[in-house]
Amino acid sequence: MMSKMIVLVRTNFSILRRQRGLLIASLGLAIVSMLVFGFLFGGNTTNKTRLGVVDQDATTVSTQIVHQLQQASSLQIFTGRSDEEQQALKNGQRDAVIIMPAGFSQQLVKGGAHLHVYYDQNNPLTGASAQLTVKTIVESINSKLAHQPGPVALEQQAVAAKDLRPIDFITPGMLGMLLMWANLAIGIQLITWREMGITKRLAATPLKPISMMSAQVVARLALSLLQCALLLGLAIWMFHVQIYGNLGLLTLVVSIGSLTMLAIGLVIASFVKKSAAADSIRLLVNLPMMFLGGSYFDVSNAPSFLQPIIHVMPLYYLNDALRQVIYYGSGWSTIQTDLLVMLAWIVASMLVVWRTFRWL
Amino acid sequence: MISPKHLAGTTTAGPAAEVIVDVRGLVKNYSHKMVVKNVSFSIRRAEIFGVLGPNGAGKTTTLEMIEGIRKPDSGTVLVAGLDVCRQKSTVQRIIGVQLQATTLFPELTLLETLQFFASLYPRSLDPRKLLSDVALEEKARSHPQDLSGGQRQRLALALALINDPSVLFLDEPTAALDPQSRRMLWDIVLRLREQGKTIILTTHNMDEAQILCDRVAVMDDGQIIALDTSASLISQLGAQATIDCRLSGQATKSDVLELPGVTSVRHANERYIIYTGSMQPTLVALLSYASSKGVTLTDLQVRTPSLEDVFLELTGRELRAE
Repeated sequence: MMSKMIVLVRTNFSILRRQRGLLIASLGLAIVSMLVFGFLFGGNTTNKTRLGVVDQDATTVSTQIVHQLQQASSLQIFTGRSDEEQQALKNGQRDAVIIMPAGFSQQLVKGGAHLHVYYDQNNPLTGASAQLTVKTIVESINSKLAHQPGPVALEQQAVAAKDLRPIDFITPGMLGMLLMWANLAIGIQLITWREMGITKRLAATPLKPISMMSAQVVARLALSLLQCALLLGLAIWMFHVQIYGNLGLLTLVVSIGSLTMLAIGLVIASFVKKSAAADSIRLLVNLPMMFLGGSYFDVSNAPSFLQPIIHVMPLYYLNDALRQVIYYGSGWSTIQTDLLVMLAWIVASMLVVWRTFRWL
Repeated sequence: MISPKHLAGTTTAGPAAEVIVDVRGLVKNYSHKMVVKNVSFSIRRAEIFGVLGPNGAGKTTTLEMIEGIRKPDSGTVLVAGLDVCRQKSTVQRIIGVQLQATTLFPELTLLETLQFFASLYPRSLDPRKLLSDVALEEKARSHPQDLSGGQRQRLALALALINDPSVLFLDEPTAALDPQSRRMLWDIVLRLREQGKTIILTTHNMDEAQILCDRVAVMDDGQIIALDTSASLISQLGAQATIDCRLSGQATKSDVLELPGVTSVRHANERYIIYTGSMQPTLVALLSYASSKGVTLTDLQVRTPSLEDVFLELTGRELRAE
């Protein structure tokens, strides 16, 4: 029984391995995108993020925060009034502006202080880097407060050590995109096999459809992990991208992401009969998801009418989980929601597939 | 042309031979249209059984239901005593199938394809030996899309034989083949029968049905309209010869019927198909009729009656017209 499954998986893997079109579309696209963005926007580690800081609180605590920020080597701090800094942001002289409102430090102690942040929406990549920077700052403040109620000191290492470059933002996004392209393709595969009469020929043998499909899934999962390793390897080697999180957790995220995309691919195969239609449908699904899912740029500031669509897309959650683990070094608890949404997608898809999928 | 040795009369399976495929009351509907209407027949061990009929007659669908590819809407099929619906895997282990158009995984070589299929069965033959049996051993490392039509059919046959089945189903095995490849395949089929295998094939080639098959089931519009050896079916026409010709204008069917020896006449536009019990008198009379009446006689063919004529007689339509 087990040896039969191994033969099935090996055969499916051989078939996949020889499909050059698939590999070019998924891995090739990801690599090219990464190289283009990596070189275009620079893997230059000396680019400082220009941060405007407005201190409306003017207390010891807030002054200390500003001081700590000025010590960070990867930040270039400008201080001033709110209207001045925001104008500078509009003029492209800042990457982001943070405002500590009056009463900020009092609320910090009580818990529940708010920091106003302004980003440059027209420059999605540097804006994204700046966002990450600010998020890091906020996290540092929060973690420090948890441990000592005294003066706030920013984690210098935390801020300086992270190279906040566009390439760091893009790499997880490319991983997510790769997983989407490579795994949705299972739908096209099954539709093509059905159209060619291969599934019919197999139906005349003792082979059960579920065995063949499971073997396809396992083979594609293995191929996805391999492709991800290749892409990450390239990113690390060429652009010195760092994986801050746990590799085991990353593998889990990649696996769940792959399974999500595979399940959706099977849904496509359940509803589409002709392979010509399948190609169009695939593009219709992939392209919006690729951009709205945040693979290329941050979408949290996208117009509100798009937000519901974005928050439904599985790729959005996959990209987020990937970024959290690779860039933030986040643990299980942070990515729980992302994983749960993906699991929900898997369950819903498999229910649909169970009811509607036809082998012949 | 037709070697007497191959005529259906010398079936090796006598009436007492074991029934290996038993089909009863098969029905299949597609979108409210009945494509297989209550089909029943049985096939004996080591028989070469043909299903003859035009495209759309329901031959492929019937075969697919016996092979376990499709579920019948009603009826039962027993293969070697096993119910195909209930014991599908067991049945599929002992049957081999060659579908009408075989496309296989373009990414795998011929040898890899055979090896893959071999892995699906508990017992299988050696893939390399099978490839050489069908004269494809030099293509072992080629891919299916690089093969010619005839080579693809041979590959499909090798695939059908991979598990050394006792019952073989061939759907239009020689449809797209040239005469030489067709004869090659017939030889293979005859050799397989000598090994004790039962072969069921569908065809709309009348030669194939007459020469190769022990018994023929004639199928049209979802039903079996005749089942017997081809010799018996033909002799039921009661004709020694068929005269096929065109007679212009003034000729009438009733005139032709009155010619000596004529048993029946089919007539459409200017074409006449005349069945006669004694060819020579009829032919002579026909020629003098034509010249006396000033009728132009063209496209004259004289032939021994065939299953083509049987089909025409049973349905009023030509087998080849599709």
